[in-house]
Amino acid sequence: MSVSTAAREPNVFARIVRHRADYLYIAPALGVMLLVIGYPIYDTIYLSFFNTPPSLAMADKIFVGTDNYVRILTSEAFLDVTINTLIWTAFSTFFAFALGLGAALALDRQFVGRGLLRGILLIPYVISAVAAAYIWRWLYHSDFGVIGALAVASGITDRPINFLDNVDTSLPSLIVVNVWKEFSFAMIMMLAGLQTVPEQLHRAAQVDGAGVFQRFWHITMPHLKGVTLVTVLLLLVANLNSFTIPWIMTAGGPAGSSDIWITAIYQLAFERIRFGVASAYSVILFVVMMSMGYFYVRALTGKDEATPG
Amino acid sequence: MAEVRLVDIVKNYGAFTAVDHVSLTIADGEFVALVGPSGCGKTTSLNLVAGLIEQTAGDIFIGDRRVNGLDPKDRDIAMVFQNYALYPNKTVFKNLAFPLKMRKLPRADIDRKVRAAAKVLDIEHLLERRPRELSGGQQQRVALGRALVRDPRAFLMDEPLSNLDAKLRGQMRAELKRFHQDLHATVIYVTHDQLEAVTMADRMAVMNGGKLQQYDTPARVFSNPVNIFVAGFVGSPAMNLLYGLMEGANRVGRDGWAVELSAENAGRAARATGREVVLGARHSTIALHREHVAGAVPGRVYTVEPTGDVTFVHVRVAQTIVVVSVAPSVMLAIDDPVWLGFDQNKLHLFDGTTGDAL
Repeated sequence: MSVSTAAREPNVFARIVRHRADYLYIAPALGVMLLVIGYPIYDTIYLSFFNTPPSLAMADKIFVGTDNYVRILTSEAFLDVTINTLIWTAFSTFFAFALGLGAALALDRQFVGRGLLRGILLIPYVISAVAAAYIWRWLYHSDFGVIGALAVASGITDRPINFLDNVDTSLPSLIVVNVWKEFSFAMIMMLAGLQTVPEQLHRAAQVDGAGVFQRFWHITMPHLKGVTLVTVLLLLVANLNSFTIPWIMTAGGPAGSSDIWITAIYQLAFERIRFGVASAYSVILFVVMMSMGYFYVRALTGKDEATPG
Repeated sequence: MAEVRLVDIVKNYGAFTAVDHVSLTIADGEFVALVGPSGCGKTTSLNLVAGLIEQTAGDIFIGDRRVNGLDPKDRDIAMVFQNYALYPNKTVFKNLAFPLKMRKLPRADIDRKVRAAAKVLDIEHLLERRPRELSGGQQQRVALGRALVRDPRAFLMDEPLSNLDAKLRGQMRAELKRFHQDLHATVIYVTHDQLEAVTMADRMAVMNGGKLQQYDTPARVFSNPVNIFVAGFVGSPAMNLLYGLMEGANRVGRDGWAVELSAENAGRAARATGREVVLGARHSTIALHREHVAGAVPGRVYTVEPTGDVTFVHVRVAQTIVVVSVAPSVMLAIDDPVWLGFDQNKLHLFDGTTGDAL
């Protein structure tokens, strides 16, 4: 789009001058945006080139060039955290979406108690993440947890399972909580999408001889393509940015087994007071997120542009 | 193609009766229009034949097969919808191929049939396009093509022209009629536009309030409406209706107007169950006089509508507006006094109590 704009109007500044009144109107909003978004981004990028030992005042920070980046990208811990983040994001997104779509399909039909069920399924979405994290921490508790007690009572295990203090189960346990929290959101999105499928298309397909599954495949799925793309992208971004649930439930532990990017950055910055490295970490994440944002915007607006002229 | 027969069909939605004991036989190769105002049960009737909904009582036969309880796909019918219901993500070719693919025809057969249908409808050059790249008329042809490829036993059409602009609608009316004649297709056509029914159908079924009012050729429905509803619904402008009371044996009048009835019409009026009798007259059967004429009903010009070929004059008679057609050369001003002469031989009489024709 920028190409065509440039071709039409070679001089950007001439454009701005011509529309100076318009720009004046949005100037206050632009100013605030620059202040609360632009400045922190600039400052983070700036800080990422410095070493900020906890023993020094911020003013005495030491310029180290790209050392922080090199150190992060070559460290084994970064690899582990990245793998954890990818596992966390991939599994959370996939299961939250699949469950959400399933729930939406179930709710997109008339049956007794539909409103009640929809209300119940919305609870994970409306409940505060902090509250949910604490509730689940108790459910998982190795001594007093309900899940452990049920597992023992039903004879699956003879001892309560140690969900959160075990390097093998901590990350999967967190993913379960995250999926529980996020499938509601996917459900709302897909339900909204389902309600836009024209009834006549289903009737036409019925007359044309399509069964339930064929109608789902040929009518419903193509119609949900756009909303699916948006939902998955939003879930991906949210999951790459997750903080509340993992931080409250395990704080990345035990032994970094459930550490993901944001919890790692938080630890670096606010527990180990290494702002320079944390900033560099954030910049890397920023680049990843911005590329996802690019695809998100393309998915939202690309449909019209893709139409052959 | 096959005969379609509805026998004493009832469809209830809770306490509401959408279709009320309707019996209708559509002969093999016949074009029948189901016509009536919104909510009269015509679309419900069509959906019942299609199997998209199930009747509360009664039987539906397609050919000699009773199709009660059968899925739409097993009834071997094709349907054309109001907004075409084309599959937006599929090309025209794949839209046409879809019903054949669902019936698991071999690929070569599908290809042959789709191309044949596309040729009939002159949409061969559009086969690789998607529905959103087509005009309304082209989409309409594709929808027709999708119905055509399968060689169904009957075509069901639900207001297929109502989304087109007036000019295209006129054109498609002619094409649909031609399509029906070339294919000897059994067509059940739902419309709220009586003009479509009159111009295309072999027979028209006029419905109101879930009940079948009259089922006959358009000409007979037009010339012999069985009740006040049909009289007022068919024809444009609608038949003029004057609600009067019998004043003696051969005079009908009310609030300052009166019409003397001929001996024959007086005999018909005598069959009315009460004193209330409704006179019905088409615009073309009423003579408009500028001076008092014996037996004519006085009125005043309310408005004048020139249409080019003919001018419609709306005349206020007491509390009623009567529409009369005159030659375009007749010049009239609003509030001019006029006198209306009714042609006794073409006068319709209805029982004011029951609404039935007398």
